[in-house]
Amino acid sequence: MASDAVFSGNLNFLALADVLQLLGSNGSSGILRLRIPHRSETGQIYLVRGNPADASTGALSGTEALYAMFGWLGGAFEFIPEDVRCENVIQKSRMEIILTALKMLDDGIIEIVDADGKTQAEPADVDGLHSIPLIKGPLVDYWYIVDEESFEKGQKIVEQGKHGNWIWVVLEGIIEVRKETARGSLPIIRVGSGSFVGSLASVITGRNVRSATTVAVEDTQLGVLDSQRLSNEFARLTPEFKAFLASLDRRLRQVTDKVVSAYEKEGHIEEFVSHQEPLIQQGSAMDKAFAITRGEVFVVRQAEAGAVLLADLYKKDFFGKLPFLDVGHEPAAAAIYGSRDLETRPVDVSVLESEFNRLSPTFHNFIENLAACITATSSVACGLRDKHGRA
Amino acid sequence: MAVFNVRNREIECKIVYYGPGRCGKTTNLEHIYRSFKKQVSGQMVSIDTEGDRTLFFDFLPMGVGKVMGCDVRLQLYTVPGQVKYSSTRRLVLKGADGIVFVADSLAVRREKNMLSLKDLHNNLKSYSSSVFKVPLVMQYNKRDLEAQGIPLMSVAQMEKDLNSQLKVPAFEASALTGRGVGLTLKECLKRTLKSLQKELRLSE
Repeated sequence: MASDAVFSGNLNFLALADVLQLLGSNGSSGILRLRIPHRSETGQIYLVRGNPADASTGALSGTEALYAMFGWLGGAFEFIPEDVRCENVIQKSRMEIILTALKMLDDGIIEIVDADGKTQAEPADVDGLHSIPLIKGPLVDYWYIVDEESFEKGQKIVEQGKHGNWIWVVLEGIIEVRKETARGSLPIIRVGSGSFVGSLASVITGRNVRSATTVAVEDTQLGVLDSQRLSNEFARLTPEFKAFLASLDRRLRQVTDKVVSAYEKEGHIEEFVSHQEPLIQQGSAMDKAFAITRGEVFVVRQAEAGAVLLADLYKKDFFGKLPFLDVGHEPAAAAIYGSRDLETRPVDVSVLESEFNRLSPTFHNFIENLAACITATSSVACGLRDKHGRA
Repeated sequence: MAVFNVRNREIECKIVYYGPGRCGKTTNLEHIYRSFKKQVSGQMVSIDTEGDRTLFFDFLPMGVGKVMGCDVRLQLYTVPGQVKYSSTRRLVLKGADGIVFVADSLAVRREKNMLSLKDLHNNLKSYSSSVFKVPLVMQYNKRDLEAQGIPLMSVAQMEKDLNSQLKVPAFEASALTGRGVGLTLKECLKRTLKSLQKELRLSE
């Protein structure tokens, strides 16, 4: 560092935005030098009475150079006061530059360089498997909560295969949903505040075998839902809507199972889909929904590594476009294939929609959460397939 | 944390307008910028952030007197609500001396208001401050829409939703027409300066 510097330090401690504000409110003129230790690259910002007039780094100059340096999260800075006489290449005001640069940083337009001179890579995979999506729900309606429970980090809340029919809503903290597989415990998704733990099946059928294990990732506060109230509300629904909810729940189970089979490197669908025409093309703009009366339907997504089977649907299941609920499948993000003996009947979506809109806030949130879980789990399934490839 | 600028004999205070997207934060600032043009130094900076705009300008309020022989210079900011703009939010919220929480009176935005307040609470917590400590003023904006028959929440309900624990001064406003905008800022400034003096243990 030059000896005539009057102000120097580490960008780790005082970021460029703060340094510029300090020098700015002080009305200083001079050269602000930035340096990353393990990189030969340096940068200069010329300040005239507190405002940046010009900048340069590497091949860049002016505003472009200045913005680029906002990505230097590590490294050193020093300020040398000087009567700078240079052209005002940068016309923008100090705060405008700072706010714009930070916006670009958050938008991912500016490259981030840390102290070692490494550009920041994608976030590392969890356990080398896949990055686990985190689902959060809307604000919790305390009306349905009968009790609160605390779980410590690492504590199991439910265990796959064990019995129980409580449903919780996460008040604080994060919970991981895992599937026990032949190759060990596999994290599927994580849920945070506003999300639900427990399956709709226990409301629908009273089925009380847990289909997955859930573990508190951090200290967690859960609200126990009034399951009697949920059951009562469910009992008042029309048969069609009940069937629709049951089908949604099955679809989530299906997708979760597909993640497990992708992990266990089983099951391939290419062969099948390459010989068949889909009933609904992925990305098509159809707007109808159907219920299966006979045969089988396959929900298949065309992912990077090829076709991925997301769910098998059977008699009584629903498929097609639901304008009021997005499960991240057909028609926008998956195709539908049918078995030879498939028979369907059309479903009046508007009737389902009006019933959906009449649900209590908690039930409504529960269903939307279910849909979000289907979406997230599907992308996990595709991510795993991409990773393990078509063995 | 206000900055003492010894060279200009000024104290720079930062007042931040916070609230859910499209609640009228920027309209508030635009109104202030227009009506107090003479006291505004420099341009208004406006950055288009997704779903919202981030505004900033410098402002010399009249009639607040001097603090320790220094003039008071205000920096007014809005914050982008979107989660991903964390760097911007950190810059703006860090060292905020006073906060105006702008709540949307539209009945359909009830949940958005509460979420945003919770968000503010969490954000301040991560900069080791708190909604209970920082000088805060509430504004219930868009009251003018009632005349057009658009369903609004009653002030009593908003008080219950947002202010039952905080118990800070709250103002009805219509940022579009300017009603209540000045009052809100004035109260926030008053509280900010009071807390600054307390912090600096200055006698009046």
